[in-house]
Amino acid sequence: MPDSRATILVVEDEPEIRRFLRAAFGAEGYRVVESASGRRGAIDAGSHKPDLAIIDLALPDIDGIEVIRQIRAWSPMPIIVLSARIAERAKIEALDAGADDYVTKPFGVGELLARVRAALRHVARANSGAPHLRLGDALVDLQARRAMRGDVDVHLTRIEFRLLATLARHLGMVVTHRQLLTEVWGPTHVNDTHYLRIYMKQLRDKLEADPVRPQHLITETGVGYRLLADEVRADDAQRALSNP
Amino acid sequence: MRANRHWRGYAWAAAAVLVCTLAGTAMQPRFDVVNIAMVYVLGVVIVALRFPRGPAIAAAVLGVATFDFLFVPPRGTFTVDDVQYLLTFAIMLAVALVISRLVENVRRQAAAQASLAVEAETERIRSTLLASISHDLRTPLAVMAGASSSLAEAGERLSASERRALAQSVFDKAREMSEHVAKVLQMTRLETGAISLQRDWVSLSEIVESVLARLAERMATHRVIVELPHDLPLVRVDAMLIEQALGNLLENCARHTPPDTVVRVRAAQRAGDVLVTVQDYSGGLRDADFERLFAKFHHGAVEAGGTGVGLGLAICRAIVRLHGGNAWAERVPGGGTAFRFTLPLETAPAVPAEAPAD
Repeated sequence: MPDSRATILVVEDEPEIRRFLRAAFGAEGYRVVESASGRRGAIDAGSHKPDLAIIDLALPDIDGIEVIRQIRAWSPMPIIVLSARIAERAKIEALDAGADDYVTKPFGVGELLARVRAALRHVARANSGAPHLRLGDALVDLQARRAMRGDVDVHLTRIEFRLLATLARHLGMVVTHRQLLTEVWGPTHVNDTHYLRIYMKQLRDKLEADPVRPQHLITETGVGYRLLADEVRADDAQRALSNP
Repeated sequence: MRANRHWRGYAWAAAAVLVCTLAGTAMQPRFDVVNIAMVYVLGVVIVALRFPRGPAIAAAVLGVATFDFLFVPPRGTFTVDDVQYLLTFAIMLAVALVISRLVENVRRQAAAQASLAVEAETERIRSTLLASISHDLRTPLAVMAGASSSLAEAGERLSASERRALAQSVFDKAREMSEHVAKVLQMTRLETGAISLQRDWVSLSEIVESVLARLAERMATHRVIVELPHDLPLVRVDAMLIEQALGNLLENCARHTPPDTVVRVRAAQRAGDVLVTVQDYSGGLRDADFERLFAKFHHGAVEAGGTGVGLGLAICRAIVRLHGGNAWAERVPGGGTAFRFTLPLETAPAVPAEAPAD
């Protein structure tokens, strides 16, 4: 596993929370660097060069979002934020500032570990070319812009492909409305959320077995969407796509 | 709106003076000029009673001017022959000021009384809230203290499966408590108006999807059937809040109906709104209970031992009303209770058609 022995930076002022995170990550074989404040966190991110950062949004000295901005100024490392339930809008701001995913306090470590794994896989994938994705019985080749469901070709429009590709670039992680609208329709459309609703519905109708209870194109209410899909080895995918 | 009301006051002042003038003109042949002045005074009093000081003074000044011009000799001029009339003017102005001052005082007192009533209500809510919190938190806290202390003190003497079960129950109860605290906070925020809606175009189908995903564990005991029309229009709502409102209805059904029964989630477009229904097959409710269910912290929350029973539905209703809709419960033929809410429909902006793909 490439992600074991990865170094995780935890920026969190509550010692008790750091303690259980240390225990949970340690048990999974990760190395943990702890910072008890935002300023310290921003410095530790530079000196320890972790593979991933976990940042509490409610820090005593500087805003967690500020820490994200400082890290993003020089590093694309995956960032997962810990947000309080009462401050739901703050997590959206954090995601738009460059965080990759979030976990809402209180959380179980299982949930956090799943997010960490998805984020680290994302880094590993960045170096391995455009993926073929399997969404249940649908198979998508993003590079060739082809989609199949079982043996049948599925026609996706240009925008549908672009939307799917944007979600796929952040496979397993949440992508905010703002990010999707900016990347698919352009920065003048950041408020046109209704575009997203319509096109996500079309994608689900075409790719999901039960569009009302999607298993792959997941809604993150008030935040954005998340694509859950299996990556398929290119040759397997090629065989499936070329021999219907 | 305030400016609009001001305007109306001045318009009414002018109208009152006009009516007085018409009455005065009718009276003129048979009545003394002093009596016509009384008619104007009456007009000023009425305006002062209904409107703030500005329109009252306007009525007085306008009344004096009209009276002077039309009725005080020499007529058709603003000149005054007799010094007596200056007194009439002064009195009319004074009447206007005194009356509007009195009315203002009365209004202020009424407002003070109303705010006292609000305070009393807030106090009542606060105490019910505390009772409900302490009840709903005490049980999980007791479990957490017991289970975690067993782990801390006798951990190594327990079997792995016992340790796991204890730890799991600490986790479950902590989550339950956190849910409850979140509900209490949410209710407080709704009560105090501390929530501003973040409206956006939202698909109800996605809301249903995300509620069912969030409550997957809790709804696992029931069979949830979703029936949404394929062409359901988008609604402009605060997605996170409506998700909570719907979630609370579902949780409520899961909590109060036997396991393995059906819970139906439906939505239908109507004339000006969308009707969302969560229906269970309990059938155990009397008519009188339906309204009580949605009451703030109705007593089920404290007595019946359920967690946050009254809170969930009250939050649902508060959220829906904040959106201009309504929430209620009714019996459905064939047994069962339908929890319904409406959301007003607006016309969604069009999505430009996509150029045909290459």
